[in-house]
Amino acid sequence: MNNDIPVREIGPQGEVMAHAVDACVHCGFCLPACPTYALLGDEMDSPRGRIVLMKEVLEGGLELELAAPHLDRCLGCQACVTACPSGVPYGELITSFRGWSEPQRRRSAFDRAKRFAILKALPAPKLFSVAARFGQYAKPLAPALPAALRSPLDLLPEHVPVMEPSAEFTPARGQRRGRVAFLVGCAQQALAPNFNAATLRVLSRNGIEVVIPEGQGCCGAAALHTGARNEALRLVRANLAAFDPDEYDAILSNAAGCGAGLKEYPAVLHGLEDEAQARAFAAKVRDVSEYLAELLASGDLQPPLPASRPLTVAYHDACHLAHAQGVRLAPRQLLKAIPGVTVAEVPEGDLCCGSAGTYNLEQPELAGQLGARKAKNILSTAPDLIASGNIGCHTQIQSHVRRSGSPVPVMHTVEVLDLAYRGEL
Amino acid sequence: MSLKLPRLPEKWALTTTSRARKPASPGTPDNALAAELTRLLGDRKVLSSLPERRNYRYDAIAFGETPLAVVLPESTADVVTAVRAARAAGVPIVGRGAASGLSGGVVPLQEGLVISFTRMTRLDIFPERREARAQAGVVTLKVTEAARPHGLVYPPDPASFRTSTIGGNLGENAGGPTCFKYGVTGDYVQALEFVDEAGEVHELTRGAYDLAGLLIGSEGTLGLITEATLRLTPPPRHVRTLMAHFAEVGQAAEAVSRAIAAGAVPSKLEFMDTACVGAVEDYLHLGLPREAGAVLLVDTDGDDLETVEAERALVETACLEAGGEVRRAATDAEGDALWRARRSVSPALGRIRPQRMNEDIVVPRSVLPEVVREIRALGDASPFPVVQFGHIGDGNLHPNILFDPRTESEEAVHHLAHQIALVAIRHGGVLSGEHGIGTMKRDFMRDAVDPESLDVLRSVKRALDPQDRLNPGKILPGELEAPHAHP
Repeated sequence: MNNDIPVREIGPQGEVMAHAVDACVHCGFCLPACPTYALLGDEMDSPRGRIVLMKEVLEGGLELELAAPHLDRCLGCQACVTACPSGVPYGELITSFRGWSEPQRRRSAFDRAKRFAILKALPAPKLFSVAARFGQYAKPLAPALPAALRSPLDLLPEHVPVMEPSAEFTPARGQRRGRVAFLVGCAQQALAPNFNAATLRVLSRNGIEVVIPEGQGCCGAAALHTGARNEALRLVRANLAAFDPDEYDAILSNAAGCGAGLKEYPAVLHGLEDEAQARAFAAKVRDVSEYLAELLASGDLQPPLPASRPLTVAYHDACHLAHAQGVRLAPRQLLKAIPGVTVAEVPEGDLCCGSAGTYNLEQPELAGQLGARKAKNILSTAPDLIASGNIGCHTQIQSHVRRSGSPVPVMHTVEVLDLAYRGEL
Repeated sequence: MSLKLPRLPEKWALTTTSRARKPASPGTPDNALAAELTRLLGDRKVLSSLPERRNYRYDAIAFGETPLAVVLPESTADVVTAVRAARAAGVPIVGRGAASGLSGGVVPLQEGLVISFTRMTRLDIFPERREARAQAGVVTLKVTEAARPHGLVYPPDPASFRTSTIGGNLGENAGGPTCFKYGVTGDYVQALEFVDEAGEVHELTRGAYDLAGLLIGSEGTLGLITEATLRLTPPPRHVRTLMAHFAEVGQAAEAVSRAIAAGAVPSKLEFMDTACVGAVEDYLHLGLPREAGAVLLVDTDGDDLETVEAERALVETACLEAGGEVRRAATDAEGDALWRARRSVSPALGRIRPQRMNEDIVVPRSVLPEVVREIRALGDASPFPVVQFGHIGDGNLHPNILFDPRTESEEAVHHLAHQIALVAIRHGGVLSGEHGIGTMKRDFMRDAVDPESLDVLRSVKRALDPQDRLNPGKILPGELEAPHAHP
């Protein structure tokens, strides 16, 4: 798309945005891939429409406050990226745009307080854990609360587990095949500590030693995607300092959102002095399923024990795995490697579940509609088990599956693998 | 040699239902028309704020004027209300589907009302009659998806079928790869409902004067199609896919002429030249032959496998005789991947230059080799990359001029497009096979249609739309200035 974005005034992030706008030929092939377009059916809530809106705001022809409601409704799921034949890097565009526009936004005091609380609590596992446990007790009060307060409570599991910090070093069992660094994630530690425990057990069992480098923190994705660019830069740089890519075969994440965030570092630091360092770092980042599937491909993955009975596992593609990282096959291959497991494909599988980082908290109504649709689609496959590779999706799906009255367990892909190794599947 | 087949993600069609809500947008209607429409239809169905309206001024090729208001009707009654309000306000009306069109057909040339049909998505299948009744906003692919459980399909398959709407297909009389054997959208329309410029609703069948036929392909200049009854057919039981590649584009055209002369009636007969193959390969990595000057993609189908394979053999022989190399798709999945390649040409070209001028000429098959070669020569002599692809079985070619409006002259692009159109006309061809005339080829109408016939077209337009309120400035030349391709 032809544009007059004043790249020189905006700087390196302006280049990132102008490049994306250039690449869009407004063909409309993205429309059917977009969850908000599927719900709302209007052009402003489609990727093509949002690109036009962002372009016009950047050019100075449209007030930010007029475009913002539609841009805020974008989940950032990047399904449009998968659908786009012209290769428009929409994810980089919306992320950069949010970073550029946030300082100019006029938000209410309540909104600001909410965003501040989310951005402080999410990356601080201990604080988050305390908040979640407090929320657990407040849950019975939820129906009496205003929607803005109700939505986070709705998502909390019935039982918030006690946080278990992971060991800084996990040795390889048997023959040592590799050495990886692991990003432990934030909210995940508080809400689903077993994700990390299972990941460490599975890696170790496969001869991989795991280091959890000191000084690591939040990947920065939540801050970045909500436009808190300075906060994001601080977090990104802390991680670049904590992880030395030369020391490890790979830098692993087991949360799709965090993994995608880590892989985004070069775009975040585009044009800054540490861009090269970010590239070296990002080149080593893998989702845990990608890494394990590489072992499977080379015949180095220990064969899991068969499931105790034939099991249908509905695999949910997290947007940040499938669309942002392009990881679709690996988790399916791992699940299928368990004798007795059949992987069910979910209808409308590419449609976001509505969790999308902080979206659930900021756009509860649309998130709820998508969550209900996702639960219905997943349950239509009559699964014995639901697997996914992202804590956000996990929480959202679990909450909507329970709401529809189904007891089907929801697990991380690696948890399923871990159970199989232990003969407990 | 086998093709590399990546696992391609499945896309789905728009599933909006009329229950979808328009969340509150900032501001109040900022003009009288928007305010009146909001009063009549409620703010759920009317887009009135600036950012909303600005997003209804483009299609997949051009940008135009920002409308005063956009209506998202949920019923024919809503369309009637909107048309009457626009009439009272004395402003033009542009009907719009998914806006994936390539001729500027839904781009407003003046301030006015845009009616976007994307929420009119009711679809009923009547298997016993082999018919579907679809509202204008039904996504094309949805019709086949809904019909398939009844053992039926809707054959017209424009490349944009995952996005485009039935209303848009009707407005442009959209074709698609299967049109050689199965025909275009218009061939499947049994009846249609439309709203005229006065806001009256009419139901048309194909009898007596074929007024439905007149509306189909009229690009919203004669009436607003709100619903249609579409003919469904059982899908063929067997399909065989073949790909042939040639050193030079003219050879591909020769192969097509030979195959058809030999009696083959392939269901799809498509070609892509080397630039298209390269663009698609960059995107999909299918292992397509980049070095080839042109690629033909051919499906033969039917219920009798022997006939289907015999027909493929005829095509294969014709390709070999014309100097080509042939690959057969070993599996259905391989065939699907090849067709995905063809469907992705259009947008994939955006990787070469940010903008393009898309031609849609149709020429007699007997002159295909000369036409393709002449266009190649025009392209080679110009500063622009010119790529060719299209439904070569029907003689429907899509020469595309790729350009960068920041550094290259749009006037020169227009001039070259005109030269290409003249090649078609000189060889007994026409300007549009399936994308319509819109604004992009309106100025060439004088070359393609004699003055007397143009007068007849103008009389038809005057009869149905005396005030020139319906999509003014489209198709017929000399009434309004052409729009700028981009802002």
